[in-house]
Amino acid sequence: MNSRDPTIHQLISDTQATLRLDDTPTATFRVGPVEASPCTWACPAGVNVKTYVSLIAAGRFSEALEVVRRNNPLPAICGRICTHPCEEACNRTQIDDPVAICALKRFLTDYEMAHPPDRPQPAPRTKKESVAVVGSGPGGLTAAHDLIRMGYGVTIFEALPMAGGMLAAGVPNFRLSRDVLELEIDMIRALGVEIQTGVRITGDRATVGLFEEGYQAIFFAVGAHKARKLGYPGEDAAGIVDCIAFLRDVNLGNPQKPGDKTVVIGGGHSALDSAQTALRLGAKEVTIIYRRSRKEMPATPSDVRGAESEGIQIHFLVAPKQLRVKDGRITGVECIRTKLGATDESGRRRPHPVEGSEFIVKADTIITAIGEEPDLSFLPANHGLDISQRWNTFIVDEAILATSRPGIFAGGDVVTGPKSVVDAIAAGHVAARSIDRYLHRKPLARELLWKPPTEVEIKVDLESRPRIPRVPMPVTAVAERINNFKEVDLGFSAEEAMAEAHRCMRCGPCRECTVCVPECDKQIALLSAANGEGALLLRFLPGLEAGRLPLVPHSVSVTGRSGVEISAQVHPLVSHVNERRCRGCGDCVSVCEYDAVRLEERDGGISVAHVDVDRCKGCGTCAAYCPSGAMEPGYFTEEWLTGLLAGMSPERTNLVVITCSWGGARLYDFIGRKQHKNMDITYLQTLCAGRVEPALVLRSFEMGAAGVLINSCGVSDCHYRFGAAQLTRNYAKIEQLVTMVGIHPARLRYEQIPSVDAARFDRILQTFARQIRKLGTGQRAPLETVSG
Amino acid sequence: MTLPATIHAELQEAVASSNALACLSCGKCTSVCPLATTGRQYSPRINVTRTIRQDYDTLLSDADLWSCLTCQKCDAYCPAGVSYLNLMAVLRSKARQNGFTGECSHAGALQSLARLMVNPDLKQNRLDWLPEQLKTSSKGDILYYVGCTPYFDALFTNLNLHTTQAAVSSIALLNELGIVPALMADERCCGHDLYWNGDVDNFRRLAEANCAAIENTGAKLVLFSCAECLSAFKNLYKEHGLGVSADLQHISEYLAGKVDSGDLILTGDDVMATYHDPCRLGRHLGIYEAPRKLLKPNGNNQLPEMSQNKGRALCCGVSAWMNCDTVSKSIQIERLKQARATGAEVLAIACPKCQIHLLCAQHDQGIGAQNAIEIRDIATIVLGRIAGNSVVVEQIESMAV
Ligand SMILES: Cc1cc2nc3c(=O)[nH]c(=O)nc-3n(C[C@H](O)[C@H](O)[C@H](O)COP(=O)(O)OP(=O)(O)OC[C@H]3O[C@@H](n4cnc5c(N)ncnc54)[C@H](O)[C@@H]3O)c2cc1C
Ligand code: SF4
Ligand code: SF4
Ligand code: SF4
Ligand code: SF4
Repeated sequence: MNSRDPTIHQLISDTQATLRLDDTPTATFRVGPVEASPCTWACPAGVNVKTYVSLIAAGRFSEALEVVRRNNPLPAICGRICTHPCEEACNRTQIDDPVAICALKRFLTDYEMAHPPDRPQPAPRTKKESVAVVGSGPGGLTAAHDLIRMGYGVTIFEALPMAGGMLAAGVPNFRLSRDVLELEIDMIRALGVEIQTGVRITGDRATVGLFEEGYQAIFFAVGAHKARKLGYPGEDAAGIVDCIAFLRDVNLGNPQKPGDKTVVIGGGHSALDSAQTALRLGAKEVTIIYRRSRKEMPATPSDVRGAESEGIQIHFLVAPKQLRVKDGRITGVECIRTKLGATDESGRRRPHPVEGSEFIVKADTIITAIGEEPDLSFLPANHGLDISQRWNTFIVDEAILATSRPGIFAGGDVVTGPKSVVDAIAAGHVAARSIDRYLHRKPLARELLWKPPTEVEIKVDLESRPRIPRVPMPVTAVAERINNFKEVDLGFSAEEAMAEAHRCMRCGPCRECTVCVPECDKQIALLSAANGEGALLLRFLPGLEAGRLPLVPHSVSVTGRSGVEISAQVHPLVSHVNERRCRGCGDCVSVCEYDAVRLEERDGGISVAHVDVDRCKGCGTCAAYCPSGAMEPGYFTEEWLTGLLAGMSPERTNLVVITCSWGGARLYDFIGRKQHKNMDITYLQTLCAGRVEPALVLRSFEMGAAGVLINSCGVSDCHYRFGAAQLTRNYAKIEQLVTMVGIHPARLRYEQIPSVDAARFDRILQTFARQIRKLGTGQRAPLETVSG
Repeated sequence: MTLPATIHAELQEAVASSNALACLSCGKCTSVCPLATTGRQYSPRINVTRTIRQDYDTLLSDADLWSCLTCQKCDAYCPAGVSYLNLMAVLRSKARQNGFTGECSHAGALQSLARLMVNPDLKQNRLDWLPEQLKTSSKGDILYYVGCTPYFDALFTNLNLHTTQAAVSSIALLNELGIVPALMADERCCGHDLYWNGDVDNFRRLAEANCAAIENTGAKLVLFSCAECLSAFKNLYKEHGLGVSADLQHISEYLAGKVDSGDLILTGDDVMATYHDPCRLGRHLGIYEAPRKLLKPNGNNQLPEMSQNKGRALCCGVSAWMNCDTVSKSIQIERLKQARATGAEVLAIACPKCQIHLLCAQHDQGIGAQNAIEIRDIATIVLGRIAGNSVVVEQIESMAV
């Protein structure tokens, strides 16, 4: 092989090689399945997990954190206490253990704290309306964060003396340090959100007063802070306390010292937190009683193990039956053993008491942690809002979070009942989006909201994957932690984080191609769309993230881990709107089936299109439909295609072959880009067939093609699901125009030959070429005069 | 791109022919320019000044060189007699020769089609839309020049467009008057758009081919439904020393003449229409009254007029399929607002391109609905006004739906 013609493989394996613009790698990478990775689908807030894990693996921490922050304004908090449904969904679970996604997120924020950036600038106020957010938990904070960045005025009202909701009042310091909480809330304050603490919104103020005070919309994110009662006689005796009150007192700085023997009733996070808090406050013996088995515990298993390692006893399959009270003080609890029966509506098996198995557990203090519900006593009697009788929660349309009163929205625990931080964050996003639409009198369209499909099948070759143990979270030794409230988890070092991130298999495509080479020693993710033009399609190179550099082709240099410099041309595969050109017609919005484009309103009711780079697949279908040329597809630009056409020699008979990059271009893996004697073949490639429009075909003829052969995947095999269907629709139009302008219909052909059938494609190409030879040269427009 | 040293000499002539040196720098042009008044940082005055200063680098590389609508509003108001239009034509042609170009709408499909029609051996299939009931021939005294509407209808399927309806109606009306017009199976694009794209070479080739073809039919009168085609033939061809021996008229002029002579009687139902003057028919050719005569309601009712009409009419926002964007749309929305404000039911147009551009703004998902008003070609309206008088007309009408 020629040294001027290294393959990508060579470049990757040769640590001395420097990839420069004039290098022409010829190898192409296989392209895999289409759907997003399971971790990303699983995240309620839609955080692009795989992307940031990949960036961590590449040592590009601040970019990774930016990716997280796009969907999650509270990464340091989530990095500590998120219930991480992403890890539950992680494909690695089928090999060994899930990637420690949550801990990786925490690492990013630890890293940032060690290298603090500037405090964010206040978001510019561009809209006249203001929004009142009631409650400063994760739901309220997220909505406020989103709304202020959209340009609204936002005030958060918080009943408690400190902001943070349950994170401040419930979650203890040893799991989430107050410094971290404060820092993250401060980031949101810095954007310009005003947080009024110690202000409980009550009575008419909640339903009409706030509107009169100049707020045009209200978001209730008041959480679920009312502890459920056992309902047994003696519950008001001294020495019995509910976990919410107990933890809140501790967090507010006036802890109630528990007795030597403390019993906690319950099995969730609040039970564990109460038990561990009691231990730290000096209780000698702490016991948890839980009426189901370990498997059913709502608390995360690792947290349960953490508590047990501190010496906390958990009695499973035990339920309280009666409280023991003497002289107005609690002395213990009579318990009964249970066994599990049929599955109930929560999906867990229901416990049944075993008659005659009663026994007594002595206790000086009992902490009940059997569930919470919202406290809606702040609402006026005539509130007129739909409230669930059973759960005492707001009834809202879950996809848009609108209550039964116009302008009032609700989300988070107050709608779902006690759930999780990340669900509250997701609700905050939805609420902000709905409020924005409401204030602009747009329909609160459900279909616009991010809804992951129920099930995704991602093909990953699990057998071939080596087992790699999960990097354990470093923790403070038990003896050093049980007498104080310092954070127990210590977080990963950069090396640990990168090692853990390398375990990620990058399931599913990154923007599309699974050609992302995890083993790449140059620490770049290589994406090649088999363009055959020698250009690499690179993703996630420095400065390429959305919003910082325009997503246009440019060249970059990076220094790999081994110190080797790599320069390459970057062709982002996402579509880009030239705002100056955009008419705001919305054709792109209606044609994009990935919901990646939306219209953003500008002054005077005029809109411009905006591409969400996280959703855009770069297929370019939108560009095919854009009337004004505002939509530029990544890489497969009009300029590039026209440039290739301009290379056709006027002296020769020219054939133009247009293929998509999947079914089409992979044919060349088998048959190559054949030439034909007495004829030049110019190969044009688009990422997806959807991008092929009348102008491309007409221009091919105009610039000298004697024939145009188009090939794409079949309608049902289209890599983008709808591109081939769009072309099929568009092709009728292309054919009509070509015929009308007097080009012989036999000069145009459209096939849907899959790459496996390369031989057939080859035959058709040969037949077509022969046919064109018979028809003679095309009708290139006479050349224009050029100056100079 | 560095411009060749000869550029100054090459452009001297333009400066002279556009009369730029007479500019008083009064700014009247900018104050009426639809681009400038709709928010584009665009000033014909500054461009004239740049021309005088020979700042050709800036002029030729400016992306907005291609934004001018060549609507000629500026010229109409210029007290010093500067022809900005003329200046634009020269600058664009020079710019194009030096590798600059505008942003073509619809990915350049229309420019490609026009250039494909330059082919000397062209054999198009462009008359498929022609209904059997209509009588046409290939030779004759009166030639009807269809324009590119068959291509438009095929390309803009999303707008549910029927610009060929103008041709159908015009031919039906001619048949009604006892005339069998000639149609050219190989009529070419008039070249208007290529001319304003700066591609003067191909414009010329199209013009030559068209002129030769028309002479071939022996026509004494050529009728047009498209204002741009007519202005190309009357003004641009002439400027290039080309032309045909036949008379050239817009269909509305011809029909208005027939109304005057009593050959065409508009007795059918009135349509409350307001009329949009295409820049080419109005300011470029001074035709204002003929279309109005055809629309004027029976009895004493006045034709509702838009706030900007005749010489002051607002352009439809795009010219030569180039540089279409938000400003274009704002102009279109403004024009539609003006039309709605008259209370008319129909916006009558005399140019298929105006029709497409205004329809496109209405098709907008966000604000289109607020600007709804039926847009109809003038010949189609006239056909409706003689409905009931003729069998031909009835057949055509039933076919139109
Ligand atoms: C002990 C404990 C541990 C937990 N651990 C975890 C965990 O590890 N991981 C996890 O994901 N989730 C955990 N959760 C759940 C999580 O904290 C909640 O799901 C989440 O905080 C809900 O957010 P929110 O915004 O809906 O409401 P909250 O965070 O509850 O915030 C609501 C806020 O509204 C305020 N408020 C109420 N009424 C008014 C009013 N009328 N006027 C003004 N302000 C008002 C409240 O004071 C409160 O600050 C835990 C919960 C508890 C109790
Ligand atoms: S292996 Fe990586 S991409 Fe796959 S599910 Fe786990 S974290 Fe996501
Ligand atoms: S390129 Fe494809 S995925 Fe991206 S915005 Fe356009 S249509 Fe949607
Ligand atoms: S299709 Fe083009 S002009 Fe229309 S909104 Fe999209 S980008 Fe803008
Ligand atoms: S021709 Fe029309 S658009 Fe062009 S500068 Fe003059 S007024 Fe403005």
